[in-house]
Amino acid sequence: MTENNTGNKQMTLKDAIGKFVKDGCSITFGGFIGRDCVAAVHEIIRQGIKELTVIDDSKTDMMDLLVGAGVVKRWEGAYLGYGAIGLAPNIRRSVEEGIPSKIEVEDWSNAGVSMRYLAGSLNVPFMATRSMLGTDIIKYNRRIKVINDPFEGEPVALVPAAHPDVAVIHVQRADAMGNAQVWGFTGNDENKARAARHTIITCEEMVSTDEIRRRGNMTLIPFYCVDAVVQVPYGCHPQSCYGYYAYDVLFCGDYHQAAKDREEFMRWLDRYVFTSKDHAAYCEKVGWGRLQSLMTMERHFNRIPG
Amino acid sequence: MDNQRYTASELMAIMTAKEFRDWEVAFVGIGIPLVAGITAKRFHAPNLNIVYESGCIGPQKYRVDFNVGDSSAADGALCLTSEWRVFSDMQCGYYDVGVLGAAQVDKFGNLNTTAIFGDRDYCLPLVRLPGSGGGNDIGSNIGRVVVMLRLEPLRFVEKVDYITTPGFLDGTPEARKRAGLPGSGPVAVVTDKALFRFDSSTREMYLDTIYPGVDAGEVKSMVGWEIKIAAELKVAPEPEDRELAAVRAADPANLIMGGAAARKSLASLDEYIDLTIRNSGRF
Repeated sequence: MTENNTGNKQMTLKDAIGKFVKDGCSITFGGFIGRDCVAAVHEIIRQGIKELTVIDDSKTDMMDLLVGAGVVKRWEGAYLGYGAIGLAPNIRRSVEEGIPSKIEVEDWSNAGVSMRYLAGSLNVPFMATRSMLGTDIIKYNRRIKVINDPFEGEPVALVPAAHPDVAVIHVQRADAMGNAQVWGFTGNDENKARAARHTIITCEEMVSTDEIRRRGNMTLIPFYCVDAVVQVPYGCHPQSCYGYYAYDVLFCGDYHQAAKDREEFMRWLDRYVFTSKDHAAYCEKVGWGRLQSLMTMERHFNRIPG
Repeated sequence: MDNQRYTASELMAIMTAKEFRDWEVAFVGIGIPLVAGITAKRFHAPNLNIVYESGCIGPQKYRVDFNVGDSSAADGALCLTSEWRVFSDMQCGYYDVGVLGAAQVDKFGNLNTTAIFGDRDYCLPLVRLPGSGGGNDIGSNIGRVVVMLRLEPLRFVEKVDYITTPGFLDGTPEARKRAGLPGSGPVAVVTDKALFRFDSSTREMYLDTIYPGVDAGEVKSMVGWEIKIAAELKVAPEPEDRELAAVRAADPANLIMGGAAARKSLASLDEYIDLTIRNSGRF
């Protein structure tokens, strides 16, 4: 919910993260292992923010990086793996060995988290779902309440609304007012933006408000949900961004290999995050030619209509 | 098994592909389940529509996905929507079949993808796994669920450490209905050595089909309870060349089936991109 409806919410990534993401706050991220806000995660790590509670559905690189960097105190979510490549090395080290610190874990299913954000966006206290019933998710997660439906009598699970302090959501394009347009799947992003107290939009391209008006159906998140807009080209790399660039499976394979060893992971973090002053410096290290190849591949399959 | 002609993973994908029927709507997990789905689409079920939890409904399968939200999941899709919407559609019963992987399965088809406890517990497990993702939702809601995992000791156990995804729960009659679960439970467990199904009256898993060259005794020795065997144990046919060709075209750089070794054998990102485009069926 924005406190600033002046016409221009454009900021640098450094300023937007610095202003809204505070030590100890709760946060969620848009995308769904695709259209992820990786650049924002790098900036959170770079600024040394601590003790975050992440309330999210499914992430790979982003959670592995945040947990490995010691940024996360607690996670409430559904999936903490590394996609088709394997298990997430930093997640394993944290949960199994407490390195660099032990995160608190609260397991949900993806539909369970989706209903938490739907409730948050509707401004009602909870939603009902038929997922998770009869399983150990409910045994270990006391915040899921199983009741008999007061109308028909059948058991249903109730999940509480999620209201994180901040949502960070990467989109294909936005205007300076904060209208955010998305192509491809939309995940839970429209609900995350509405459930969160503050929303930061990062985007591939800035466009004029007139251009937004030409395709109002594509505006997933309207300006009144948004506090800050930041242009970050290639902001999802190594994840994909529909219509812009494909998933960098080989970069992720190398990361996964490196992250298995704590020292190597710290060197990776140093190279790509701490010694990169911003996302453009990260892109420089990844290689502009490589990013161009990923864009060529994506545009072979998907193009955003001009 | 003829190890020269095909790998165990390839046979697993082909056996799973046969579980899909043309014109069905399928909710499929990432990894070998998805390779099986793409294979089915390119083979006997061209009108199979695959749904992804990120919100992609009915994409053309030009290329393999490494994550549920890869833009490949949206290539030429019939509908691009939200995550909560596709889970709601699942809960309404629109999806015919779900395929998912697991680390552990028990005799009633309950799955664990959350944690291997070892001599520890949920809070400090021996191995932390990814968690439910959408697995629980598939197992809770979809009518026909197919499970894929390798047949290895400690994977087929009397009781899983943690029930992430419901099978037939404690196996008692109506256990799923009493819990409030809409879907009817698992129908098959596909492994790299054999295929298992569930007895309709006892809900217990039994050995239904063994693969060429596999011995039933070998299968029994790897299952952590006294597994029952079908009265007429079937033997799977050798995969046909055209089936193997379809599986290989679905994962042309072998990155899903071949893992880290296959990634290392690629000369460059450009080689991977070239292979993907050449095998996409869209030039």
